[in-house]
Amino acid sequence: MIQQLLEKHLNILDYALSSLWRRRLKNGGVMLVFAAVIFLLASFQMLTSTLTKAAGDVLAQAPEITIQQMRAGRQESMPLAYREKLAGIFGIRKIVPRIWGYYFDESTLANYTVMALDPTTMPRGRDLRTALAEGELPGQETNGEVAIGAALLAIMNQGERKAFSLFRPDLTLKPLTIIGVFRPDTDLLTGDLMLMNMNDARDLFALPADRVTDLCVYVTNPAEIDTIAKKIAARLPDTRVLTRPQILKTYQVVFNWRSGFASICLLAALAAFIILAWDKASGLSPEERREIGILKILGWETADILAIRFWESLLLSALAYLLGCTAAYLHVAFFEAGLFRPIMIGWSVLRPALRLVPAISAGDLLLIFCFSVLPYLAATVIPAWRCATVPPDAAIR
Amino acid sequence: MLIELDAVSKIYNQGRANEVNALTDVSLTIAPNSMVCLMGASGSGKSTLLGILGCVFPPTSGRAAIAGKQLSRLPDRFLTIHRRQTIGFIFQQFNLLPSLSVLENITLPLLPLGVAPKARKQRAGALMTQLGIGHREKFPAGQISGGEMQRVAIARALINDPPIILADEPTAHLDSRLSLEFMEIMAGLKAAGKTVVIASHDSLVTGHRAIEQLITIKDGRIHVP
Ligand SMILES: Nc1ncnc2c1ncn2[C@@H]1O[C@H](COP(=O)(O)OP(=O)(O)OP(=O)(O)O)[C@@H](O)[C@H]1O
Ligand SMILES: [Mg+2]
Repeated sequence: MIQQLLEKHLNILDYALSSLWRRRLKNGGVMLVFAAVIFLLASFQMLTSTLTKAAGDVLAQAPEITIQQMRAGRQESMPLAYREKLAGIFGIRKIVPRIWGYYFDESTLANYTVMALDPTTMPRGRDLRTALAEGELPGQETNGEVAIGAALLAIMNQGERKAFSLFRPDLTLKPLTIIGVFRPDTDLLTGDLMLMNMNDARDLFALPADRVTDLCVYVTNPAEIDTIAKKIAARLPDTRVLTRPQILKTYQVVFNWRSGFASICLLAALAAFIILAWDKASGLSPEERREIGILKILGWETADILAIRFWESLLLSALAYLLGCTAAYLHVAFFEAGLFRPIMIGWSVLRPALRLVPAISAGDLLLIFCFSVLPYLAATVIPAWRCATVPPDAAIR
Repeated sequence: MLIELDAVSKIYNQGRANEVNALTDVSLTIAPNSMVCLMGASGSGKSTLLGILGCVFPPTSGRAAIAGKQLSRLPDRFLTIHRRQTIGFIFQQFNLLPSLSVLENITLPLLPLGVAPKARKQRAGALMTQLGIGHREKFPAGQISGGEMQRVAIARALINDPPIILADEPTAHLDSRLSLEFMEIMAGLKAAGKTVVIASHDSLVTGHRAIEQLITIKDGRIHVP
């Protein structure tokens, strides 16, 4: 009995497979269109997740308060001595001086972000060490050591060579040595980054020994950020004081814009999909009706006929789903979401040579599944059900 | 009796503007192992009557008992199950699926019964040899001759070994030689113990010596001359 039931379902599955194969041209076409829709959906979903996660990482690392010197509305280097002016503000845990600048390399036509600070003075300085894929962080007393981002390493095309040189403002050469490389999955933060010690950065940018570009302030109690920021602003009237919540807001503006864009994308995908489903639902072709009538009259139950349809649609849409999701992963991981790139230009979070390591969750995949496979199943099985429940008298004439 | 109809009527599209009284007050009985011909002009209701005899749909009113089951009492699902146990259908248009092979067409009724591929092939093979279409096994059903198509349709009707064989205008697409061959095959089935009901207005069928009972239908009613 069970044997027979099993055999029956095998027969039905077999029939569904060969029926898919018989109409392989049409089904292949539908499958590809469907996979393309899923690809768009999944790419976007993955990109959103990936960037959200990356942005979260950025913010987690960011100091609670950043102080920058402003002159004529532009940022400038500031005296290191400003640090002393902040002494005595209650709630400040640590002040870390930082040099942060950009270096345009004529030979690679790339913009490097040069950063210098003393990780040992940061509250979570050790974390920086774990971001390295290999090698070491530049020492504070050494000369010319740098740790660079994986994307940057690729751009510099150094091969096995560790040594290279950058121009100082007076066009003399400063020799440097790569002693560490950051992990590729931290690319959003480290992609174009070149980390060195303060002395080397001062040397490279010809910055006087008593100056830095900004001061990073870490606080003891995050609830006091705003109060402390106000106190700092009062003591240093010629500076700009940026707090983490403010930066978060900037991100949110970008995110809102992005989710708006996401809904447009989603709508476009759904529209394409509905056209597809409608084509299927708006009528079984006369041949399909005839086939259902013949099977019914030959003693196939309605449930059996639906089972064929179900398997056909499930196989087709599952294949499209796998194809679409895989393509989306490759698109995001290896082609840097190239299709969306033109739309994302001008987005300050993204840097030119960003390599994304897609963050996909089961929830994302499920969401895409619910938006694609399920409606497709409904759109194909329901018309077949309607056709299969009426007496098959058309077939006997 | 194997088949008993009592005051059976069939109305298509009941209550709508395009309502059709296809059968009115039809009563008849058919004994097991008999060979019957339903005769009548086009549109007289032969196919409709075969539809009721073949458990495709129940009558609108009246009693129809086929092989011991009251049709109007059966829900759709049991009608289907009863049909596949009792009825073998042969259609005028053959109703084969043209892209399936001959073998696949013949074994279609066996799939929902859970018959394994090997057993299916065995059962179909015997029938194909018997009907002389063994060499066409792998051909798509759309690419064989009309006479062969009909044999495929016969094999498909017999694959489940049903007690009742129904044929709707089976000779309409055949020449006289093939029509006679068909009647011989039917006579052979009758001799093997089956009940055969053929709807036709072809004199080769209606006048065939194997026909034991002639039922004439006119405008949906049994006509007694
Ligand atoms: N599904 C249907 N819906 C509406 N009317 C129908 C349907 N099937 C048959 N009819 C009508 O019922 C009447 C009897 O039709 P039926 O097909 O039973 O006749 P027939 O004797 O088989 O004719 P033919 O020799 O042309 O096959 C006809 O008037 C036909 O138009
Ligand atoms: Mg007819």
